[in-house]
Amino acid sequence: MSVLVKEPEAIVHAVQGFSADTVRAHSAARNEPAWMLEFRLAAWRQFEAMPWPESTDEAWRRTRLTGFDLNQFTPVANAAGKVEKGELSKLLQAELNEMDSAASMVFEDSGLRNSVFHARLEDHGVIFADLQSAVQQYPDLVRKYFMTEAVKPDLNKFTALHAALWDTGAFVYVPANGRVTLPLQIILNQATAGVGGYHHTLVVTEQGAEVTVVDDLLGAKDGLQASVVELIIGAGSVVRYMNLQDFDHSAWNFLTGRAVLSRDADLRWIQVSWGSRLTKAFLDVDLMGAGGHAELLGIYFPTGDQHIDHQTLQIHRAPHCFSDLLFNGALKDKSRSVYMGVIQVHPGAQKTDAYQRNGNLILDPTARADSIPGLEIEADDVRCTHGATAAQVEEEYVFYLMARGLTRAQAERMIVQGFFQAVLDRVPVESVVHKLERVIERKIGG
Amino acid sequence: MSVLEIRNLHASVEEREILKGVNLTLRSGEIHALMGPNGSGKSTLAYVIAGHPHYTVTEGDILIDGESILEMEPDERTKAGLFLAFQYPVAVPGVSVANFLRTAVSNVRGYTAQQTEAEGRSGVIGSNLMPMREFRKELNEKMKEYNVDPSFARRYLNDGFSGGEKKRTEVLQMAMLEPKFAIMDESDSGLDIDALRVVADGINKLATPERGFLLITHYQRLLNYVKPHYVSIFYDGRVVMTGGPEIAHMLEEKGYGWVEREFGAEAVPA
Repeated sequence: MSVLVKEPEAIVHAVQGFSADTVRAHSAARNEPAWMLEFRLAAWRQFEAMPWPESTDEAWRRTRLTGFDLNQFTPVANAAGKVEKGELSKLLQAELNEMDSAASMVFEDSGLRNSVFHARLEDHGVIFADLQSAVQQYPDLVRKYFMTEAVKPDLNKFTALHAALWDTGAFVYVPANGRVTLPLQIILNQATAGVGGYHHTLVVTEQGAEVTVVDDLLGAKDGLQASVVELIIGAGSVVRYMNLQDFDHSAWNFLTGRAVLSRDADLRWIQVSWGSRLTKAFLDVDLMGAGGHAELLGIYFPTGDQHIDHQTLQIHRAPHCFSDLLFNGALKDKSRSVYMGVIQVHPGAQKTDAYQRNGNLILDPTARADSIPGLEIEADDVRCTHGATAAQVEEEYVFYLMARGLTRAQAERMIVQGFFQAVLDRVPVESVVHKLERVIERKIGG
Repeated sequence: MSVLEIRNLHASVEEREILKGVNLTLRSGEIHALMGPNGSGKSTLAYVIAGHPHYTVTEGDILIDGESILEMEPDERTKAGLFLAFQYPVAVPGVSVANFLRTAVSNVRGYTAQQTEAEGRSGVIGSNLMPMREFRKELNEKMKEYNVDPSFARRYLNDGFSGGEKKRTEVLQMAMLEPKFAIMDESDSGLDIDALRVVADGINKLATPERGFLLITHYQRLLNYVKPHYVSIFYDGRVVMTGGPEIAHMLEEKGYGWVEREFGAEAVPA
């Protein structure tokens, strides 16, 4: 363990810009063990060696990084230190109070601000720790799973940057047959403008375990967020994961998430992309064991000049797996969305049952939605269907509702809300449903 | 006592005239059946009365108690007391019957205006609805009365409904909205005998002295269960003959071929 020789802030501020020294200072400020520093430095070297995405890369053809310059951001935010719940901002207190959780964690900028445990998780061997502490307290588990299995540092430029500079996030570990009935809530508010943030979510469940995890992401004004989500799901384990991204509309947001499912594992992943000026999200479900069941459900609603891009991969490596993907988005103003998805069925993954649907509701003629679904099938006994739709609000629907006394605005609002309902119906936490409904209402309204 | 008057109504779609001078008067307490062959424009008449934007009124007028409704949006016409039961109600996925109907009922009964005025607020949608408890109670009572299973409150509007379920839900909506004038567009089409009875019972229950009904139909079938005061024959965009229930029986006997011979373009004026 290294020795802290300076105050954390002084260390970080002594180094300017993105560099190996910044990585070292960041690690030292967190008093990290040598293995983590080495992990970060190795990732930094990979980051430096990798080219920036170019518009000739298939993944980045429709999502350009025009106007993005890493040097416009302060590499790492400060950590403000822990406070009592009552000292948190009203916004964060409201977010905390909204959900009936087993435990909650609040991060602001690069550090943990508050954590509340309503359930006695540790009595059941369940770990719900901020990742920074987990590196110290559970080094074996973290070393085993952190960016080794689901998302490796060299997956893309942003995962490499993330691995070098990761700051906030939670480590969730549920032992065999452990069950956490209420959700584990993780809130991040990237409060300081113009900084980089690197939020990490690592969920590991053993055989037969059950857990629900919610990431609630806020702030990031004029900032950068390069986050990673890793869900490593044991045999027969049931995981519900919600990633609720509601960043400031000036944020650059890059998310790479992958769930790895063992035999008979059951995942439902809800991806919500409300905020950011630009989002590029890579979301993969990797069905490694037979009998796995994965649902990947997304909603997005860009307005103004927002650009939201989801790229998904459903990998069927084992036989008798089921995957269902549904992404529904509404678009307003001059916004743009991209959906690219592939169902990949490996040889031997017989009896695969896979679905992929992307629906777009275009509310203004100036908005644009691109949808590129795809299949790569190397097994012969499979059922795969995919489809994409782009539609406007049907005048016949509006007339029917108006003929029952709804105003045009009410009718259109109801049709848009109804369009999202197919996903909302499958959101397993009621308080999250209400929260999403409120955002949809706000977005329709203006 | 209210009156719905249709005066010399001409309407077209994409420059093709479909209604060619319709005259018809419907008073509270009356049941008026409008019968005609397919393609005669009866459904167009229903849509034009309800204010469908697809059609253009080129001449004539529609009045409720002497006030023209032609300039009104469809929702304003509904607030003025009109109700159109659709031949083919569209399915609106994700919108529950209860949620939609609460907004509709609140608008039509003036909750929005009353509350907004009383509290001096601007009209925020969703904040001035009929109180949930009151609405639920009334909806439950009416679902029972009109033979709609209570589970329909949570189901999505017409989504996956059978033909009979759709038409029953239309009657339920009418019962909740309590219009002065109901226009039933082929409410009998595609129904088996049991479903037809349920729909007819609903109409009979709602046919009070305060309400007028215009039953648009191709067949005599519905009229075996709902007794009209007047029957009109609609042909080629106009009402060509009006009389009592005997007209329906005559049509039953002679068929629409007779109407064509009598009133068609080739017919020799008597």
